[in-house]
Amino acid sequence: MKRLFLFLFFLNIVFASNAQKFMTKNGYLSFFSHTPLEDIKGENNQAAGVLDISSGEMVFQALIKSFHFDKALMEEHFNENYMESDKFPKASFKGKITNLPDVNFSKKGTYDVTVEGDLTIHDVTNKVNVKGTILIDDTGIKANSKFNIVPEDFKIIIPGVVRDKINKDLEIAVNMKYEPLATK
Amino acid sequence: MKLYIKIALFAVSFVAISAILAALYMFNLKHTDMSKAKPDFIVSATDLQKEFELNETAASARYINKILEVTGTITSITHADSNYLNISLKTGSDISNVICTFPAVGDLSMLKTGEEITLRGQCSGFLMDVLLNNCAKVTKRNKE
Repeated sequence: MKRLFLFLFFLNIVFASNAQKFMTKNGYLSFFSHTPLEDIKGENNQAAGVLDISSGEMVFQALIKSFHFDKALMEEHFNENYMESDKFPKASFKGKITNLPDVNFSKKGTYDVTVEGDLTIHDVTNKVNVKGTILIDDTGIKANSKFNIVPEDFKIIIPGVVRDKINKDLEIAVNMKYEPLATK
Repeated sequence: MKLYIKIALFAVSFVAISAILAALYMFNLKHTDMSKAKPDFIVSATDLQKEFELNETAASARYINKILEVTGTITSITHADSNYLNISLKTGSDISNVICTFPAVGDLSMLKTGEEITLRGQCSGFLMDVLLNNCAKVTKRNKE
């Protein structure tokens, strides 16, 4: 009887803590760079992300090979020459909303947030501090952000001839539509 | 002008123009049309996910960058902000599916959850799910 009670107690904790977690497996990530010749844009619709609204913790993971380019050759160069996706298949982010008290997850609206954490690309980890928004509406929780990174910070080498033609930093966009984590 | 100079000039310009055209063609080349591509592997969503779950390294070596023809039952359809569509296929696992990204919505708007689909796509690897990209639906007409 005591054991059953304990079991129910733990079950309750699991359910309660899961109710605070939201996730997506269809997250959108893109990077964009303008060049005089053409715009370079890669899009990934398969990013996985978890948001814990009680602690403000955010985790993202994505496969480099899931980035899709309009042109086949561009995608090949991205994977083989720059990201070396066979060697470093994943990119990830682990961080926290620093101004969590400003967000009321039970009230519809748009909230400005700052997220701080570790961004790992090309097996190099850098601390980043980015601004974004949390949008709460009928469909759930959405998180959006746009920020810039410098490829060289992640030891991504772009040859001089090409380097001079593209901006020093690339624009990264993040769009997540979270759903409550299913409790099973 | 001597005839051989004319011929030489013509040959040189012909080579140069072909080289430029070839470079432009390569540069603008689109992705393989999966509805017409020949699959490297034909597999069910359940078997594919199981292989990755049991031995990710071996399955990665076998499937990544390869064209897979996968059959499975649709568990969810997600419209992205962009002109992409994600379809999840049911597997033997509750938490891990096969997620397939289609570059254009097109005639896929007719699909519903619970339906069976056969599709072709390029395998990107395994995150929490097996991920396929550049997918196209396979109809009876273009089935292998």
